[in-house]
Amino acid sequence: MPEAYSIEQLRAQAFSLFERLGLPGRKLEDWKYTDVSRLASTLGETWWQATSEQPAFSAEGSIEDLDAYRMVFVSGVFVPAQSKLPDGVDVLPLADLLKRAQSDDSKALFKLDTDAPLMNGFVAVAVALAQDGLCACIADGVILDKPLYMIHVGHGRSHVLSGVMLGTGAEATLIEHFIGSTDEVAGLSNTVTYARLAANASLTHYRLQQEHAQQYHMGRVEVKQSRDSRYVLHAVELGSSLSRLDVLVKLAEENASCELNGLFVASGRQHIDHHTRVDHIAPRCVSRENYRTLLDGRSHGVFNGKVVVHKGAVKTDSSQSNANLLLSKKSEIDTKPELEIYNDDVKCAHGATIGQLDQAQLYYLTSRGVPEAIAKELLLVAFADSVLVGMKDKTVRRFIERAAFAKLPHTSGIEGLTHER
Amino acid sequence: MLEIKNLHVSVGGKAILKGLNLEIKAGEVHAIMGPNGAGKSTLSNVIAGRSGYEVTAGSVHYQGEDLLLKSPEERAWAGVFLAFQYPVEIPGVNNTYLLKAGVNAKRKHLGMGELDAFEFMQLVREKARLVELDASFLSRSVNEGFSGGEKKRNEIFQMAVLEPTLALLDETDSGLDIDALRIVASGVNKLRSQDRAIMMVTHYQRLLNYIEPDFVHVLADGQILKTGDKTLALELEERGYDWVKDA
Ligand SMILES: Nc1ncnc2c1ncn2[C@@H]1O[C@H](COP(=O)(O)OP(=O)(O)O)[C@@H](O)[C@H]1O
Ligand SMILES: [Mg+2]
Repeated sequence: MPEAYSIEQLRAQAFSLFERLGLPGRKLEDWKYTDVSRLASTLGETWWQATSEQPAFSAEGSIEDLDAYRMVFVSGVFVPAQSKLPDGVDVLPLADLLKRAQSDDSKALFKLDTDAPLMNGFVAVAVALAQDGLCACIADGVILDKPLYMIHVGHGRSHVLSGVMLGTGAEATLIEHFIGSTDEVAGLSNTVTYARLAANASLTHYRLQQEHAQQYHMGRVEVKQSRDSRYVLHAVELGSSLSRLDVLVKLAEENASCELNGLFVASGRQHIDHHTRVDHIAPRCVSRENYRTLLDGRSHGVFNGKVVVHKGAVKTDSSQSNANLLLSKKSEIDTKPELEIYNDDVKCAHGATIGQLDQAQLYYLTSRGVPEAIAKELLLVAFADSVLVGMKDKTVRRFIERAAFAKLPHTSGIEGLTHER
Repeated sequence: MLEIKNLHVSVGGKAILKGLNLEIKAGEVHAIMGPNGAGKSTLSNVIAGRSGYEVTAGSVHYQGEDLLLKSPEERAWAGVFLAFQYPVEIPGVNNTYLLKAGVNAKRKHLGMGELDAFEFMQLVREKARLVELDASFLSRSVNEGFSGGEKKRNEIFQMAVLEPTLALLDETDSGLDIDALRIVASGVNKLRSQDRAIMMVTHYQRLLNYIEPDFVHVLADGQILKTGDKTLALELEERGYDWVKDA
């Protein structure tokens, strides 16, 4: 029997944990390159208090031509009038779940694992204070016919807590899209997303971060996978002044697979930090990671990809690749692939590269008459392509391509290029 | 068409070409032979515009203009093409898209209208047939995963599409089997005309059986040390290069 507890109790616990942890300092290894103390200096001592008033929703900046179920959150609060939920599937906003009180297993969403890797004050405060979020329980064998499209309008300060539970053989696509409000006043978007995949379930997860230029963005994605399940993440970082995402995947049962794809396009003084941690716990699981960053201006990227292969996880197959292009002299990347292996029967390939545009490739293209500006653009697009190519939803992919390429330093006649593949 | 006078080139402070003279007229085919490391690729790259080569003296004129002042793409628009000794792989850049961007940039530069997608695909298909390149290569990334021979054939395919006025072939025949060599040679021969010229770097006399040169030059010690007709190639194959250097 699990311990009886109330959500109120848990939230209180979470809050005291938050009070204890506070803002992570740079002395912590996991926060060495990312200085969040400026959150307090910009937003004040009560940086964690959620904004109480929400502006009206405008669809501008969302993927308007996407055929999907839609959930709109403005400053972390669900907007029913702008949303369209699927019928016959247990999908509801967190606030409604809270009202349902001590009901069902969707409450499994509410948890706080104090000892979890990369635990920090942001996670604790999200659990303690989240007003809203998505709770989706996709029953056994159900294949959701359209993606679940969550639009988060980042305005002021908000905490969002979401959970997606997929039953045996269930399949779904989740798109989390963070768009900035137009006021461009500094704020904080803090989100935690849990996903649990039962046997043979499949979740494709797009996470597109396009907050406005003053926003702080903090995120955590925690995934637990049962046997034969498949999780695919496409994490794209384009916006915000400072963005941090921790992705944790537990391959808990045999033959589960996960694929983590990341693309950063940063400029100005943007700071983007992703920590990923994949735990291979069971035998014969597969993990694939492909992160690409394009850094211009004085932007700073951080990638820390940790893979832990536990003792029983024989026949693990893990690969990780992280390639970084520095497009300016002042841009910077700190990359650290980390591998901890506790058994011998594994296949792991990890590597990171840092570079500028390849001069030999550039010469080849220009020698065929391609103008230098277009040649550079082609190479940048090609660099990003290895992440984009895995995006199966054509509408989402085209949207992301446009948004990403619009941020690239050399852009001219790129339109039409990517459709020819 | 091409006039190289007293060309001195260094790479990383090391002198490679030391007073090279060469004149190529329209309609001519020139073969350049010479020991490894003599500077044959350096010469080709200096003509095509690769950066990193320091021209310390001399001049290169093409169609009466100073070629060294032009960027690689401007040279391409003016009709210069280099088939590389080692074509680079460019994952994520589509082979056809590259050519379309190149062809249309050139047409635009020449004040001609751009080819539309249909016209372009027709052109590309026709040229692919010419060099017996499977159509599947058109939609692949530039040279990615191509075998050595496929890369060389792709170079000749690109040449056929771009229809250069001055084609430079840098060891295009190396590593080709006899069938591939025949195909490549016929692609080159189709390009031959009164107003075009070809400079081909090779180690092997056998290529010259297929593409008959008007002149054969020996590049050694940073200069053209000897020039002859096609019989010189046979002599070189028999006797090596040392006798030329010692002479
Ligand atoms: N990028 C470079 N950096 C340093 N040395 C180079 C470079 N390219 C060519 N060289 C040197 O220049 C000389 C001529 O090279 P190359 O032109 O490739 O000769 P070839 O094509 O005749 O075999 C060689 O000694 C080679 O090592
Ligand atoms: Mg060479």
